[in-house]
Amino acid sequence: MSLVLRFALVIVSFLVLVFVLKKIRRSQLYIDDAIYWIVSAFLLLIISIFPQIAIFASELLDIQSPANFVFLFMIFLVLIKLFNMAIELSVQKHRLNRLVQKLALMKDEEDHLKEDR
Amino acid sequence: MSSKLLIIIPAYNEADNIEQVVDNLIENYPQYDYVIINDGSRDKTPVICKNKRYRYIDMPINVGLTDGVQTGMMYAYEHGYEYALQFDGDGQHDPKYIEKMVEAMSECDICVGSRFVDQKKPGGLRMLGSNIIQATIKLTTGKNIKDPTSGMRMFNRATMKAMARNADYGPEPDTLAHLIRSGAVVKEIQVEMHDRTAGESYLNFSRSIKYMMHMCFSIVFIQWCRKKIKLKGGIKK
Repeated sequence: MSLVLRFALVIVSFLVLVFVLKKIRRSQLYIDDAIYWIVSAFLLLIISIFPQIAIFASELLDIQSPANFVFLFMIFLVLIKLFNMAIELSVQKHRLNRLVQKLALMKDEEDHLKEDR
Repeated sequence: MSSKLLIIIPAYNEADNIEQVVDNLIENYPQYDYVIINDGSRDKTPVICKNKRYRYIDMPINVGLTDGVQTGMMYAYEHGYEYALQFDGDGQHDPKYIEKMVEAMSECDICVGSRFVDQKKPGGLRMLGSNIIQATIKLTTGKNIKDPTSGMRMFNRATMKAMARNADYGPEPDTLAHLIRSGAVVKEIQVEMHDRTAGESYLNFSRSIKYMMHMCFSIVFIQWCRKKIKLKGGIKK
């Protein structure tokens, strides 16, 4: 792993950490949802400071360059996050539509009561 | 509640058709209750419903056919209706077949108003999708549903409850396949369907292809690993 890449990774992961913490301070992100970003920025930081981890893992998996391992690792992290967000989105869709259904039915009930009076 | 049956009419921007459909029901079939689900229409549909004092439920936003019909199912279930019928608001379905469908409910959980019980399905591209969906349902459930894409379906309380309570139970062939696998008995009754009286059909060529692919994928792969539900009080096989 070249020194330039290491340097870039350190800066980027540090910036991500700062950015996430700032957003939490401004309450734009729930702590629950921020944990993922803090942990992955931290992991990236560790890998860039100790490239031995990436070198060891790339040898173990027979990957030519340690940089490729870093990319693979990050893609894996992103895929997991993406899938979790897809689940979250489905849940939100479901809850929103349930709310709308309940609202429509309750309004109907109310109109009926008014008419009866 | 005055009848055993509730006709659920989902309507999204159906101002051109809804009057004709509902007036026909009110005048000629007063023995059945109906409810229109106005799914956040942006045209005059809600105005017409209000002015003509139709029985309707107003969805505050557009939620789509699945959740719209589901709202009707919730309504039917909560109000104790024996049967619920999914009925198009665009004039495609003919209410004169409802009586036969109600009669058939004594021996099934779901009754499908089918175009192809006695009549042969026309060949060609138009029915290709229907044929493929029929084949996938046959493959996965062993049951031959001759008109799986028909939108005229009647449900009893057991299947109505399933439709009302669970997420992802769209009024589509994949739900039909899932319910069959869960033990529901399906019967088809011969009906005639009309062309839309006004407006353009939602299904154009590319949408039809997409719909068919979506259904086949859902029936073959997704329904296979879906959890079967318990239908309480359904027809015993």
